[in-house]
Amino acid sequence: MSLFLRFRLRNIQKNTLGKTFYSSKAEEKIEIPNRIPRGPTDILRALESTVSRDPTAAHYKYHDDPFLIPMSNVGKRTFAMAQESGRKAAHWIRKEHADLFNHRECEPPIETFFPKITFNKNSKVTEEDLKNVIDDVQISEAVNVYKICKENNIEVSQVSQQKLLELLCYYNSEDTLDKEFIEERWFRQSSRLKEKQRKIWRDGNFAEELFISIENPTAEVYSAIIQGMAKHLQVERAWQLFEEAQQKGIIVNTDTYNSLIAVSNYLKEGYDQRWSFAFDLLSDLNRANLKPNLGTLNSVLKTLSTMGTGRVTKTYTLQVLREFKDIGIEPCLASWYYVLITFCKDRGPTSTILTDILNFVENKEHKIQDITDTNFFVTAMDICRNHLHDVDLARRVDKMLNFGSNYDLMGDSYKESIYYRNYFVLLSESLPLEEFMRDIYEKYVPHIYVPEPGVMGEILKIVDINGAIEFIPKLWSDMTVFDHTNRENLLETVLDIMVNNEIESELKENFSNIAWDIFNRIENQNENRTNKIMFTGDLLGKILTLVTRNKDFIKSCTVMDKLDKGHSTIVGVPKIEALSLFVDQCIEEKQPSRAISCIQYCSDSGFPEATILAARLNEKLTLDENHLNNLSKIVGDLSTMKAQ
Amino acid sequence: MTSLLKNVISNTQINTQLVRLLHTTSVCCKVQAGRYRITPKKDFPLTYEMANPPHEIAHRKTWNSWNTSNLQGGLRSSETAVEDVFIRKFVSGTWHNLFVSEIIIKRQHNIIRVAGIVHRAINARKVYFLIGYTEELLSFWLQCPVKLELQTVADKKDVIFKYI
Repeated sequence: MSLFLRFRLRNIQKNTLGKTFYSSKAEEKIEIPNRIPRGPTDILRALESTVSRDPTAAHYKYHDDPFLIPMSNVGKRTFAMAQESGRKAAHWIRKEHADLFNHRECEPPIETFFPKITFNKNSKVTEEDLKNVIDDVQISEAVNVYKICKENNIEVSQVSQQKLLELLCYYNSEDTLDKEFIEERWFRQSSRLKEKQRKIWRDGNFAEELFISIENPTAEVYSAIIQGMAKHLQVERAWQLFEEAQQKGIIVNTDTYNSLIAVSNYLKEGYDQRWSFAFDLLSDLNRANLKPNLGTLNSVLKTLSTMGTGRVTKTYTLQVLREFKDIGIEPCLASWYYVLITFCKDRGPTSTILTDILNFVENKEHKIQDITDTNFFVTAMDICRNHLHDVDLARRVDKMLNFGSNYDLMGDSYKESIYYRNYFVLLSESLPLEEFMRDIYEKYVPHIYVPEPGVMGEILKIVDINGAIEFIPKLWSDMTVFDHTNRENLLETVLDIMVNNEIESELKENFSNIAWDIFNRIENQNENRTNKIMFTGDLLGKILTLVTRNKDFIKSCTVMDKLDKGHSTIVGVPKIEALSLFVDQCIEEKQPSRAISCIQYCSDSGFPEATILAARLNEKLTLDENHLNNLSKIVGDLSTMKAQ
Repeated sequence: MTSLLKNVISNTQINTQLVRLLHTTSVCCKVQAGRYRITPKKDFPLTYEMANPPHEIAHRKTWNSWNTSNLQGGLRSSETAVEDVFIRKFVSGTWHNLFVSEIIIKRQHNIIRVAGIVHRAINARKVYFLIGYTEELLSFWLQCPVKLELQTVADKKDVIFKYI
């Protein structure tokens, strides 16, 4: 027994010893955190958040291979669209041969891999089919199924009817682009925006037929049709239906009020009328005991943004923001977009409201809440450049764009290019050129942004002002990659910069090569091109100067021959400096006949300096009888000239 | 018992006699599959993959199909083999005369990645069209995401390892 006790005692001692060794004195309480419910893709999202856009690589939609990486804007567009067109071809084959794709390999079945079910007059349909096609956003198919249902006297419930009407109203009874074709959406020209300014609602479309066929339309039915008409700018009829509903004592929903407020500028002419119209609708909303939402705020702000530059508009805007904040509605990016266009008008006074807005929205991840949210970044950058000329603000906007997944709100390729165009020009004007080229140009070009010819022109202009000709070779090689070489004004700018900044260094050879490249590009243009660049005397003169400066005598002669032979077709004449440089070169190379033909050209072009050149030639080289004769034929008696 | 033994012995004797009557040669260990014969002019081009015989797999070259269906407990081994043949036929037919390497098929989870080296005989736009078409149609057929991982070479000779 005592042995046992002693053993235990020793054990306890050991334990206490161990404890002092390993644990701290403070009692640590283990707190088990609450379980966070995770979705199936949460781990993927967490991993994805650690990867940001790599500016040194092309976008991941392109294949990572030198041959397949696009370098110009045209390349980016065509490659992505070509891939999508291939996908469309596959869709077409599946549609044409639907019977061959009926195997069920996947478990569980994934509907998107199966061919879409099509219906014809003889097929047996149920309401379930109608529901499926509506959920699948197949508009014409939905109409089709509904018609078949009606013909076969199949009862369609009110809920499905309502869903169909909403679908038709939203899409104007027209088929929409499949949501799978993201590239087409991204690259689709935003000319649609201009198109949006007019009525696009198709009168008498199936949505209207459906609306008429519904007996005793409810508030939802009215809401759907009014919203559809307002969205597609059939404003008169929308308003008519709204009044009709009101007479019947039907209360439409808040979104319908929003859609009507948003089109007030089509319904009312004067600014005051618009405001009172919006105000009346808001009071109606209040009387109907409906709660306004974010859409209401955006519609009101949109109306205000169409109301000119008056001081009152701005006061109203701020008041509206305040009031909505009080009822707990936070503005989204679309609201701020409307505020921006209200305050920063082209002809209005400058406003720094963007700074205040940024304080609200910065360092936050934004989710899309309104389709106009995508206008915010492009407008903010436009204001930074054209309205405020503020680099720091532009950088803040850019930082916000790259925060979290905010880049999703960029919209489409057109908005993206305008955004970067403004950002680039602003930075190039404000930053020291070296810094701009090192930090900005190197980073963004070409994978994130390819400068358009206009932006390239701006950059070249700044290079010219700074005399920073060391960037010219780099810019020229970029220009050839970006397909800018068919722009006459850009070619001229590049040549001008190179001619006007004469230096003694290895750049001379580079410049000569660039000039020669330009010469060959113009020379070897496709015969069938519509907008061909024509050689002018001035252009050729500059090329001549550059190649001669590098002492490329053969190239100089080719250019000179071109000038000489095309005397009748080439517009204008080169500067005399270029020609005199060439004559000097001839003297150096001991090629009197070349020099004489050049002097002949000078005198034909009416340069009085021809005689001076002739005299110089005679002085530097000992000419034979034949050459002397030729010279004197051109400029008269040489002996008298020498005396001068 | 003795008679039985005798019987057996006599039987074996007959057998040995029979064996002696047969004409036999030494065992031929020749294997031909996956090997290329040397041509008289020694001008037959081989890629690296072709130049290495099958016993070099996992030593100097790797498998052309990567999947786990043939491991213990692996699923769909026959289907995988048939599908791989289908993918190879489809890809080499769609990309007519463009693949200059073997078509490598890698399966991970539900994704099939098809890799290979393509000759730059057509312009990049057409390559992208074919990529989109192949990926989409194969994923309709096999009902799982299919991705192409291509590299391009300017010249078919770029992939030639030796001539035999």
